[in-house]
Amino acid sequence: MIEIKGLSKSFAYDKKEAKKKKNKTATDPREGEGVFHAVRDVSFQCGKGKVLGLLGPNGAGKTTTLRMLSTALEPTAGEILINGHDVTKEPRYAQKLIGFLSGKTGLYHRLTVRENVEYFGRMHGLSKRLMDERIDKIFSMLDMHTFAGKRADDLSTGMMQRASIARAVIHDPKVLVFDEPTTGLDVISAKTVLDFIESYKETEMSVIFSTHHLHEVERLCDEVCLIDLGETKFYGSTQNFASQTPSGNLYDAFLANVNNKEKEVV
Amino acid sequence: MWLVYKKELLEILRDKKTLIFSILLPTIIFPVLFFGIGKFTQSKTQEAEIKELKIAFINGNTFEGLPDLFTAEKHFKKVELESSDYKAEILNDKVDFIIEVPENSEMPSQSRKQELINLYYKGASKLDNISNKRVKDIIEAYNNTERLALGERFNLTTDNVKAFNKPIAVENKNFASERERIGEFAGPLIAYILIALAVSGAMYPALELGVGEKERGTLETLLLTPMTKGKIVLAKFGVIFTASFFTVIVTLLSYFVWTWIFTMGGKMSGLDFLSNISGLDLLLVAVLLVPLTSIFASIMLSASIYAKNMKEAQAYMSPIFMLGFMPVIVAFVPGMELTVKTAMIPITNVALAMKDLVKGTVDYSMIMVLLGSTVVIAGALLYFTTQFFKKEKVLFRS
Repeated sequence: MIEIKGLSKSFAYDKKEAKKKKNKTATDPREGEGVFHAVRDVSFQCGKGKVLGLLGPNGAGKTTTLRMLSTALEPTAGEILINGHDVTKEPRYAQKLIGFLSGKTGLYHRLTVRENVEYFGRMHGLSKRLMDERIDKIFSMLDMHTFAGKRADDLSTGMMQRASIARAVIHDPKVLVFDEPTTGLDVISAKTVLDFIESYKETEMSVIFSTHHLHEVERLCDEVCLIDLGETKFYGSTQNFASQTPSGNLYDAFLANVNNKEKEVV
Repeated sequence: MWLVYKKELLEILRDKKTLIFSILLPTIIFPVLFFGIGKFTQSKTQEAEIKELKIAFINGNTFEGLPDLFTAEKHFKKVELESSDYKAEILNDKVDFIIEVPENSEMPSQSRKQELINLYYKGASKLDNISNKRVKDIIEAYNNTERLALGERFNLTTDNVKAFNKPIAVENKNFASERERIGEFAGPLIAYILIALAVSGAMYPALELGVGEKERGTLETLLLTPMTKGKIVLAKFGVIFTASFFTVIVTLLSYFVWTWIFTMGGKMSGLDFLSNISGLDLLLVAVLLVPLTSIFASIMLSASIYAKNMKEAQAYMSPIFMLGFMPVIVAFVPGMELTVKTAMIPITNVALAMKDLVKGTVDYSMIMVLLGSTVVIAGALLYFTTQFFKKEKVLFRS
């Protein structure tokens, strides 16, 4: 169970940027005096065995939000609780409970797939016996045994993404964070990722899933949280989100919530 | 931390580019080129020293005995000119040197005045200079004979002639040892090479472990593990330091091996000279490299982490490289010595100390001062790097 309460993140402009902004009237509500409020008071929660879809146009603040969840960035305000533990106060504890995967996170190219996964397992303090068990289970699940000994720079995109999933879940996390994991993948590779997330719905894992592909949301997500200009525009069940417009589809619901603001951002 | 260190080291060792630049280039390619060029130059010089030179004389018999001095030499051949166009004769390789004694000349011992001869040749290269010297050496030998004959004409003894020739002769009684004399030249060179190797050895791993990780997207993954940022950056620093130090040591060893290979059976002047340096001094040279390598490792890692991409990081490396060498060059300015003041200047102090260690003139108390100041600077830079690595603005700079 992960709870996000009033999460905010501001970045101070560097000198060059601050100078540029100084004499201009702010057109973006996120622009403050010398700071940029990338995420403003975002709240949502994701229960055990649930998949939450984090939606929003480019630059809405999704990645910043997910980076805060995964402890890479420190929130300016708000709380992130995993099973009641505050992520900002106990980052080491949180890191053991979170698995993170994005379309951009890579593997060490000069290590084999197994070496890559083992490395992260060791980083999480897994014993040799437990690691072998976990690797065997995950590699079977993702059909990875055939290329486990291959170096990462010899892998196809699909193989690479499966290896990245294995890397992200080797320590048996309780919360999985996926930041646009299917971006840039072909249909078959994307299906592997989606099938994997779907299979995890049956476990007690909470999955937070950021994507631009609304059919993926339809297939996987129990709830959605739509962020635009750093703010929560909608948070509720996928069904309720879709029923916001007469057509009852996610596409129209998405546009109804962000369309005008999106133009402002552009 | 050791887990990250071992993994980073394994990756570096599997990286062909790093292996080429850090090991193959300095240990095999550079020495082979260095010694190869040396051998080639040596053989060309030897060739020029024994090359048969064709020499022609115009009125040569005016200076009795001069042509005979040339023909008596093994590698000179007297030839007759086919035409009076000296330039054409030389440019067409019919002859290498023409000695022309002007009409109405007399032997100096007869005329009692300085006489002139014209020496025609084509001298453009260093090898031509060697041939030229061979000719002038014989003329100088003839001058010596004529000088004594001239002296006899004036009833002068050999000593009188010597006094006329050089009223005061200087016999050098230099108390500087051979090590000091060679060290004055070799010391800065060795310091320069060691520092250059330390810098180049740190550069490629720094690029790989900083911006390389950013570009591949593995840095973000690493930051999400329970390993603290401080430990991650220390492990990265450790690998860069190891690679840099290893490059220096391996390259030095390779130079010893190559020197031995290329001089097998001959005199190993380089090794003879180095054998004069005590074990303690050699150890101190290695010890001085430790804080120095740390300084470069910290600066390069910081620049690499700060850069958004490899192109930007490489743009930072060039000025670091140059700024790193400015203090080394300062150390080689004549008159620069290792004092309490200069011992405080990073990099310059190490270069000065290395020079003195090679020369055998080092003040060991200064080494302590230098080590103290350099360790403080290296420590401060490492602290800065760890703090820098913790900044969100640096890690997620876009």
